[in-house]
Amino acid sequence: MKIDIRQITEGEESVVIRYKDPSPKINKIIDILNGDDSRLRGKTDEGDVFFSPDDILYLESVDDKVFVYTPDKIMKIDGSLNSFMAAINDESFFRCSKSMIINVGRVEALKSLSSNRIDATMEGGEHIIISRRYASEFRRLLKGDR
Amino acid sequence: MKNDKKLSPWEIFLTREIGIEFKACLYFFTILFYYCMYRIICGIFDAGIIHMAEMIITCYIVCYIQVYLFGNFDEAEKPGIKEIAGVIVCSALYILITIIGNWFDGKIGVTVGFAVYLLVVYICIFLIYRIKRKIEDKTLNEDLKLFQAEHKK
Repeated sequence: MKIDIRQITEGEESVVIRYKDPSPKINKIIDILNGDDSRLRGKTDEGDVFFSPDDILYLESVDDKVFVYTPDKIMKIDGSLNSFMAAINDESFFRCSKSMIINVGRVEALKSLSSNRIDATMEGGEHIIISRRYASEFRRLLKGDR
Repeated sequence: MKNDKKLSPWEIFLTREIGIEFKACLYFFTILFYYCMYRIICGIFDAGIIHMAEMIITCYIVCYIQVYLFGNFDEAEKPGIKEIAGVIVCSALYILITIIGNWFDGKIGVTVGFAVYLLVVYICIFLIYRIKRKIEDKTLNEDLKLFQAEHKK
């Protein structure tokens, strides 16, 4: 890709992008220019969809594929749950079991279960169980002791 | 976010073992209370060390069965078939050891009373765990709201 950068002394600053096909690189540049670089890209049957991390209720890994659940969509994203956690670097996302991540900001209510497990009711009404292995860490997260 | 602070299998095992120790002590004291009451009523003011040793060993064994075979029924959300089966099997085991160990001098009435007492104990412990979870629910939801408020800023 040819990059043409020119410094100007007067007039309005502008960026012109010329492309044949919208590649991921081009889309990323457009996202940054639009101030939407925190937005994520998901795949649905209808095509690619952009969404904000705040829209996510939870993520689930099924057969090495990661699905994102928002109040109105289910999307597939690239990578793994670990790579998502590394990329997002946000305390609101909590690994609640081997195959799931929840957005704590979108949890409506919590219920303590036997054997030190926790039942999280999401905004959509789904119940997600935080396993015993992760429950202590979850309690610490809520108390700000991490 | 790092998730290396999750509990290791060893920590999970240890937590469960400590839970069983706690449970065994709890049941031991409830059984000992009934035994002592029986002895006092009979005009005997000391307790047999062998009987107490039998009680604590029985409590450990029954608590292991309770946790590993019957899914910790006294901490269950709702009493179901598995939980009721657990109560019956565990109570039967206690009764059997009571008869073998001659804790109540072979008195059938006292042994039947002990069976009823065990049922009451199980119901009380089930209710206590339920109340404990309800209190925990309140704390958890308060912490959740605080967390959400802080992370909205």
